[in-house]
Amino acid sequence: MAEQGGGLEGSQPVDLSKHPSGIVPTLQNIVSTVNLDCKLDLKQIALQARNAEYNPKRFAAVIMRIREPKTTALIFASGKMVCTGAKSEQQSKLAARKYARIIQKLGFPAKFKDFKIQNIVGSCDVKFPIRLEGLAYSHGAFSSYEPELFPGLIYRMKQPKIVLLIFVSGKIVITGAKVRDETYTAFENIYPVLTEFRKVQQ
Amino acid sequence: MGCTSCGANSLNRDDTTGELVCTSCGVVQKFDNYDAQIFGRDGPTGTYIHVGSSGIGSFLNYKDKKIYESGKLIDDIASRLDLTGQPSVEIRNMIDKITNGEFGLGDWFPILIGACAYVVRRKANMPLTLTEIGYVLNCDVFELGRMITRVVQFLNLKLPEVDIVIMFERVIRSSNLPQLSELESDKLGRMRKQGVFLLNCAVKWFLSTGRRPMPVVVAVLVFVAEVNGVSVRIEDVAEETHCVVSTCRKRYSEFLEALVKAAQALPWGKDVNVKNILKNAMYVMSYMEMKSMEKRKEVREGINCGEVDLGDVVSKCLKKDVEHEIGVESDTRYFEMDDRSGSAMRVASEGDKIQLSHECLKMIYTKFSNEVDGEMLLGESGEVLGRKRSERFEFQTCREWWNGKSEFSKKIVLKKLLEKDVGLDIMPPSFVKGCMDNERRRAKLNSAKLRIGKIMHPSRADAGDNDVVCLSECEHTRKRRKRKRVVEIDWEDFIIETLLLHQVKEEEIEKGHYNNLLDLYVFNSGIM
Repeated sequence: MAEQGGGLEGSQPVDLSKHPSGIVPTLQNIVSTVNLDCKLDLKQIALQARNAEYNPKRFAAVIMRIREPKTTALIFASGKMVCTGAKSEQQSKLAARKYARIIQKLGFPAKFKDFKIQNIVGSCDVKFPIRLEGLAYSHGAFSSYEPELFPGLIYRMKQPKIVLLIFVSGKIVITGAKVRDETYTAFENIYPVLTEFRKVQQ
Repeated sequence: MGCTSCGANSLNRDDTTGELVCTSCGVVQKFDNYDAQIFGRDGPTGTYIHVGSSGIGSFLNYKDKKIYESGKLIDDIASRLDLTGQPSVEIRNMIDKITNGEFGLGDWFPILIGACAYVVRRKANMPLTLTEIGYVLNCDVFELGRMITRVVQFLNLKLPEVDIVIMFERVIRSSNLPQLSELESDKLGRMRKQGVFLLNCAVKWFLSTGRRPMPVVVAVLVFVAEVNGVSVRIEDVAEETHCVVSTCRKRYSEFLEALVKAAQALPWGKDVNVKNILKNAMYVMSYMEMKSMEKRKEVREGINCGEVDLGDVVSKCLKKDVEHEIGVESDTRYFEMDDRSGSAMRVASEGDKIQLSHECLKMIYTKFSNEVDGEMLLGESGEVLGRKRSERFEFQTCREWWNGKSEFSKKIVLKKLLEKDVGLDIMPPSFVKGCMDNERRRAKLNSAKLRIGKIMHPSRADAGDNDVVCLSECEHTRKRRKRKRVVEIDWEDFIIETLLLHQVKEEEIEKGHYNNLLDLYVFNSGIM
């Protein structure tokens, strides 16, 4: 318990060389795909697995869920699988392996081919309000701000190719990354821009 | 087919005009003349091409029919959106370009027309709202939005920003509400200027950032109308502009709250609240107007900032009192006090420096407002208005308190708007809420730490930790405790405790992404 007490007292500081802003985006969702490399009988899977739902009229895939890591998978008849909801890359891979194992146990010769992280969604809070109108005006080429349609400003960064949703409250959502570092780079790129349009707190 | 007027089956075609005429009552039947000419005895006449047939025969020419029908649809939708003449031609040209002259007939086509109408109007800086187009087309706003994005991308356009001021001007100009359309033009003009001023303030105060512009416009319009003694119901304006009423109400109350904050700068600011802000509106607005006309000092001079103009406001208010023979002119010296932020505000006209208590000020203010009310009652005894808030409050002195010369009363660019000072700067509501949530979580975190500490080191806990735990609990759950006295520690506290025990960083917990943290640190058995 002694080291737990230590954990309560202090926490490790942010690596400022990697995160000059001092803010590290939190990863909220990881989407990955994997090829099980065998044809699947979805109806049979749906009948045999407890944690699966299958409604071919609505969607042509079995939707399967596991509790740990808390994720959801879409399993297609072609043997392709999409795993969503994990909070880290390792968790996503572990979850995908668990799904593959479940399919194997149901009697299919499932393999684990071409595992790939497809999308990483992160979020953070810059802790100051942002003048979205000003940002949209001066970064018109990258941003789209249509308050009639969506309250946030959609910023399409070219390098890295990442989409950021920027809200007036200072909350940011970063999506489209294939690797974690892209999320971080995108945020570090946008942070100085945001500080330009921050509302000075009095 | 019977006569539209008398219903008799005695219609006869007039040989010269080709129109159907009822032989029993003589009414010329309304019918489009094309058919009459084309299917006349002599065959097709004129240069008109009848769609769906080529020549006299009935051979279906699909493309011609499609183009004709779609042209008709464009005209129809354009006229329903009040876009006739040039804009309608522009819409047609735009669709022609997008569809390579093919036009179309599917369900998607009206949406394309709507999208093009929106783009055309927005390019001309006279934007329509999406809800308005959605209402006319009977389609979803987001579907329309997607189509607009595609149109803009395809044509490689850069649309100007949505200008809330233009929207306001359009609403006030073209309103069909009798209360507004029957107003005399100078009053309407004054309302327009005041509305633009307040809208600019609302933009400055972040009330419109990230929100649909129309409900803000409605809120400001209703407020301005009430200030000018015009009784307009928020529901009516919302319906006319196709806005959701509850959103408009929300914006209205947010706007009132912001004005109350701005009113704190007045000497009797402490007594101003959302219920009486309407009565104080003219003082607040004239204060803000003067503030906006003042050149912003490069370096804010600390507590002395705003000293002179406030004196102006007060003396101006008092001057008006003299005119109304209210008799508080001798009280000028009482209007001297410290405002909440501690900056000294002095009345320039008087040399005396007497500090007054809050009660005394309140008394003066009550007296003042009673007398104003009394006078208004006398003057307006015959007029009864529908709403309590706006009753007997016709400002005859509008011209005096409002001069409308501030730049804020015109459409100004954002940069200038932000540079100007209207005596109040507030944070966006969503940001304020975020900060409050963070504080609440911080407090929960601290109390959770103390609870854990108490269990881990019982000897140290006796020294007084207990009190602190209770205190921090009390502070932040006071409201909830009124309802549920028994529940002191809720699910959130347990989660925070669990996360703390799993050595999660406090900053991470403070962000409040509990599910995320639980997944990463607590239910994470399988990861090496």
